[in-house]
Amino acid sequence: MNNSLPRLIDGMVATLRSEIIPHLDGEFARGQAFGVIYMLNNIRLRADWSPAFLGEQLAALVELAVSLGSLGVDTKFIPETAPDSSDPRVLEALRDEGDQRVCALMDWLEQQRAQLSVDTAAALDAALFRYMNRQLKWELSTSAKPMFAEISGGAE
Amino acid sequence: MTPLEQKPPNPLDDEALLRDRLSSYLQAQSGRSWTVGPFTRYAVGFSWITYGFTAREEGSSDERGLILRLGPPYGLFAPYSAHPQYAALKALETSRVPVPRVFWWSDDVAILGAPFFISEKMPGVAPVPWSGSFEAGYRQSIGAQFVSAIAALHACDARNSGIAQNDTTVENAALKQIDFWQEAGARWALKSHPMLHWALRWLRRNQPVAPRVSLVHGDYRLGNFLEQDGRITAILDWELVHVGDPHEDIGWAFLPQFAMGSGLICRLIPRDEFIAQYERESGIKVNPASVHFYLVFSLVKLALTHIAAIRCFEEGRFNDMRMPAMGTQLAPVLRQIEKLLQ
Repeated sequence: MNNSLPRLIDGMVATLRSEIIPHLDGEFARGQAFGVIYMLNNIRLRADWSPAFLGEQLAALVELAVSLGSLGVDTKFIPETAPDSSDPRVLEALRDEGDQRVCALMDWLEQQRAQLSVDTAAALDAALFRYMNRQLKWELSTSAKPMFAEISGGAE
Repeated sequence: MTPLEQKPPNPLDDEALLRDRLSSYLQAQSGRSWTVGPFTRYAVGFSWITYGFTAREEGSSDERGLILRLGPPYGLFAPYSAHPQYAALKALETSRVPVPRVFWWSDDVAILGAPFFISEKMPGVAPVPWSGSFEAGYRQSIGAQFVSAIAALHACDARNSGIAQNDTTVENAALKQIDFWQEAGARWALKSHPMLHWALRWLRRNQPVAPRVSLVHGDYRLGNFLEQDGRITAILDWELVHVGDPHEDIGWAFLPQFAMGSGLICRLIPRDEFIAQYERESGIKVNPASVHFYLVFSLVKLALTHIAAIRCFEEGRFNDMRMPAMGTQLAPVLRQIEKLLQ
């Protein structure tokens, strides 16, 4: 998920208030909608992104660091072991920092490519692709089935 | 709230005020008074606000159907200028590209609260990629017109279009667009995305030379034209118009997102038929390597559009739930890039 959980909940609540409730007929339906707002506000106070979701992303970064280390690349910028914190904000910050440094590594690789052996450059490319592939597959496997036809058409 | 804290009235938040301001503007432009009817707001796009309305000029018995498009400061790609769209539509009025006639424009936000232009209202509906199915005869006819329109656009003389040329040449057309979108992405991104970074580097290494510098629509696809009784009446949504490599529009139209699993370009026409008709009508030879480059480029552009939606929603500029929903599509787009570059 690319938006923060608090902002998603705030947006859902605002949408219910301004776009949905004014168009609902019936006291019971409106009451149910206010019930959804109330529960969303409760969730906002207690929920956060899953440490298990972020943990897999960090595990992918650790795997990349190990692969790069075996190729003689300085990997101090990427965590070599998973952090012991379970605070999602700490894990999210580590993941984002890791991804930023992976991008910096790509820039370095681009500059150094002429000085590297063909095999080393290919192995570095492969390690980076394995990392990106693992991250993207994990994102896709933890995403709901898209509902764009319903969103644009207003019907199920 | 004290009087000092009161915000000035904003036409973007008040349709009655917008109508008054519009009447005044039309009077100032024509020297006659106008009666402006109620607005119909169209739920299209995430950027420009689109209103349909009728207007009658003093002394005339004809009521004109018009479209007002406004580029709000909170839009997906803000800040906006109305000039490129106005210039493109004006330049194409006498071409074989079906476009609405365009009458007025201004980037002065003091007039209506945002840059705007006013055009003719064209008949028809916009078929969308994700709903319904097309009968074969209809599909083939619309598909052929879809290709004819883009071939006609690319055959136009871009130098006389009034669109900024920005020193674009056949050699630097790709680089200009990579720079434009990468700079925009740097403003929008909330975090780094390694696959996107990789793709941008790949694009820089693999820039093709354009066959010519053409007018490029920038969002040419199913959903961005009007159709009535089997005829395309207007190509819409020119907000990304610029000069560049004509393959750019081909790459965008070829995105799998618009095929919806049909195996057809925009659910309309087989790829080979598209290319053969396009080459015949435009006189431009399609280069497969350029199509591949601009397919990757289009996925990058789509990913960056999703990133813009994520930021727009995160900053609270919109509560429109379509924004974070678009944001969830970033990973599938990056996965498509990965498959193309592996």
